[in-house]
Amino acid sequence: MPGTATLDPVRTDVCCLHCGEPCDAGAPVTVQGTFCCDGCRAVFDILEAHQLGAFYLCDVAPGVSQRSRRSPDALRFAALDDPAVAAHLIDFDDGRSARATFAIPSLHCASCVWLLEQFWRFDPGTSRAEVDLQHRTLRVNYRPTETSPRRIAERLAALGYEPEISPEHRVDRAPAGRRRLYVQIGVAGFALGNIMLFSIPRYLSGAPLEHGFQPLFHLVTIALSIPVLLVSAADYFRVAWLAVRHRTMALEVPVALGLAVLFLRSLADIASGRGDGFMDSFVGLVFFLLLGRLFQQKVFDSLAFDRTFRSFLPLSVRVERPGHAEVVPIEQLEPGDRISLRRGEIVPADARLLDESGRVDYAFLTGEQAPVATRRGDTVRAGGRAATALRLAVLRPVSHSLLASLWNNPLFHRPRTHRLTTLASSFGGWFTLAATGLAAAGAIAWWPDAAASATVATAVLIVACPCALTLSAPVTLGTAMGLLGRRGIFLRQAAVVLDLSEIDLVVFDKTGTLTGGRARRVIEVGGLTRQARGLALRLARESAHPVSRAIADSPMFGADGAPLAPGDEACAEVEEIPGRGVRGTIEGTRVAVGSAAFVSDVTGRTLTADGRTWVAAGEELGWVRLAAAPRAGVEAATATVAKTSAIWLLSGDHAGERTLWDRLFGSAMRFDQSPDDKLAFVTRQQAAGRRVLMVGDGLNDAGALAAADVGLAVSDDTACVVPACDGLMAGSRLQHLPAILQFARRARLIVLAGFAVSIVYNAVGLTYALSGHLTPLASAVLMPVSSITIIALSSGLVRFSARRMLPA
Amino acid sequence: MSVMVLLLLAGGAVATGFLLAFVWAVRTGQFDDTCTPAVRILLEDTGRPPQASSAEGTSHDHRSR
Repeated sequence: MPGTATLDPVRTDVCCLHCGEPCDAGAPVTVQGTFCCDGCRAVFDILEAHQLGAFYLCDVAPGVSQRSRRSPDALRFAALDDPAVAAHLIDFDDGRSARATFAIPSLHCASCVWLLEQFWRFDPGTSRAEVDLQHRTLRVNYRPTETSPRRIAERLAALGYEPEISPEHRVDRAPAGRRRLYVQIGVAGFALGNIMLFSIPRYLSGAPLEHGFQPLFHLVTIALSIPVLLVSAADYFRVAWLAVRHRTMALEVPVALGLAVLFLRSLADIASGRGDGFMDSFVGLVFFLLLGRLFQQKVFDSLAFDRTFRSFLPLSVRVERPGHAEVVPIEQLEPGDRISLRRGEIVPADARLLDESGRVDYAFLTGEQAPVATRRGDTVRAGGRAATALRLAVLRPVSHSLLASLWNNPLFHRPRTHRLTTLASSFGGWFTLAATGLAAAGAIAWWPDAAASATVATAVLIVACPCALTLSAPVTLGTAMGLLGRRGIFLRQAAVVLDLSEIDLVVFDKTGTLTGGRARRVIEVGGLTRQARGLALRLARESAHPVSRAIADSPMFGADGAPLAPGDEACAEVEEIPGRGVRGTIEGTRVAVGSAAFVSDVTGRTLTADGRTWVAAGEELGWVRLAAAPRAGVEAATATVAKTSAIWLLSGDHAGERTLWDRLFGSAMRFDQSPDDKLAFVTRQQAAGRRVLMVGDGLNDAGALAAADVGLAVSDDTACVVPACDGLMAGSRLQHLPAILQFARRARLIVLAGFAVSIVYNAVGLTYALSGHLTPLASAVLMPVSSITIIALSSGLVRFSARRMLPA
Repeated sequence: MSVMVLLLLAGGAVATGFLLAFVWAVRTGQFDDTCTPAVRILLEDTGRPPQASSAEGTSHDHRSR
């Protein structure tokens, strides 16, 4: 093939100095380096001006890309001037000094800590700023007389750390529950270690200790156990009591029963001098149960999973009042208010268009990619994005919009149930019945001897502890959740892993889920001869723009066959104009690819802008239609998922792309689906006995995500709003979906293995108990050994499988 | 015997001291963020805010919840 070497695509591999993203041609270049966009350069300039250039020494390109900054609106934090809104951020304010906590999703590295903890350099009204990387928050102490939450938020945004201001959730930095658990574990661990010191001499000597040491040791042991009972085990008794009072069953009931019997029996044994009691078993059991609970509580509290429609809307909007304009929180919008939106802003309430015409992008609501043309008097729905500047008259209050009505579906208000919780509570019920039944049977068998029958009955209740479900499941699933989180797949809670293992139908959304990012692909070509297509291909290879890449990679342009326009002469006079197109000369023919306006300028012919990309080669004129390309590896991943479960594609987009997805989904595709259609589809499949995994991204999937057994939201930007869901992952991670599902199934097997092991331990313990031989020594050995083996087995096996099955 | 009692008391006092220290540490939030301090210690010291009195910065930090 002559001249293939010169046809090698020329791709710029310059990365942004601030954020490290690849730069397109036409990116801003300064003396210091190249930036991907003006936003990044602005941040760089601010840092240089404050002599904080060392930011770039902590890490390579540590900044946050400013390219896809959501709203460039300078007034977007104006609502923080409203005390009611600001109250969500302010921890305290005594008039002289105050402290506010901001949630900043883009906090990610050492450089962020270094920079933001010097925030006082940017705002002299602030004193101390403290970053919490784990929860992605920034706590700022400031003087309310000199600055305000709004000013702080604006300066943070200018630095590229856009704070997330949610009107519904308070940013709470320290989960009080976690502190409580740490104290409980500390007390139990302290008591366990000390009690062991007093118990081991007794076990080693095989007989009660002499010189009155034994009563003294008993007393110390009891003294150490009481705080464990009152502090560490308190939650088990409280939950069990609640469950009993509401006549429901929880796993805590058998646990609390076992613990109470263990403690009382030990007290009775020691007081009556009949034995040494089981205080060491009691304390050890509580300690290991609490360790299991710590695994369970390891949730990623930095990610908000409960978003309602309100999270999608701006905080405030500009309202035109007679004679002036003011910024008003959107809750105070009233029907009839005239609002003006700039390009790119979200429509906060259902409204009527006042301008002659305008365009609104409903991609997030419906998945429809092309903006919708709207005329004067048409209704514009809340949640749409203004594709042109719009002036609107509000029709309904924000809470009555069609967008809000989706959230009035009872589905969003019922607590989510997981297989594990239902399993655990039914298991807890059976377990309590079986344990008390066995205890009663043991008591009857030993009956004439009242003391012996009480001993046996209590021994059965002590040994029969649902360790498997209280330890094996939380440890296995908690570890699995942590390992997934480290790989960029964040689950709302550990029980979701078990739900994932039972999925047999996977429903995908198209726009933003299977497709995403800036990559495009050619779906239709019009009016170009083979020769012209070949020339366009050679020109496109000179440029790194997504449109050029789509043409350069398209089989319709001969990308994978022999060149349609062979030749070894390189493109000359290549010129790329950002936002318009690229042109050049190949073997004397002028070739141009770009927008209608750009190609009209080049060719002198009048073309209308209708979403097509135009191609001119010499005298020939043609066009291509582009669509978002599937994410890398997603097609292969979908095909793999299809081997183990059914798959469906539900798209809010029109059916124009049907043929492109044929090969993967066959007839299992539906287009033009409204949010309610998607929701109905999922509930119908569930009624038919399917366990549904919904993978989606936008508002149009919100209902389906909430209804599905597992809803996984895909987001290209963790700072971006996602609907309520069970899990969240970056778009680039979607290709690992088959591995994730397989890993979840393996985790389920490991939970079952934990059950099997604990049944063996329970059987051994019960034989001791029923035969009346459960000595404190046997119990003290059996309890911790069973707990430790189950914890080690579960977490070890999960880690091993994760290393083998999940991508790094 | 009495020596043992003395030892017990002394040992118990030391252990209880550590337990109380642990509870205090948890209560004052030292276990809330186990991630950032590890990063912070590696960064160059960059000076303090000009007139930030230390009392203002910390007086409210450790309120118990």
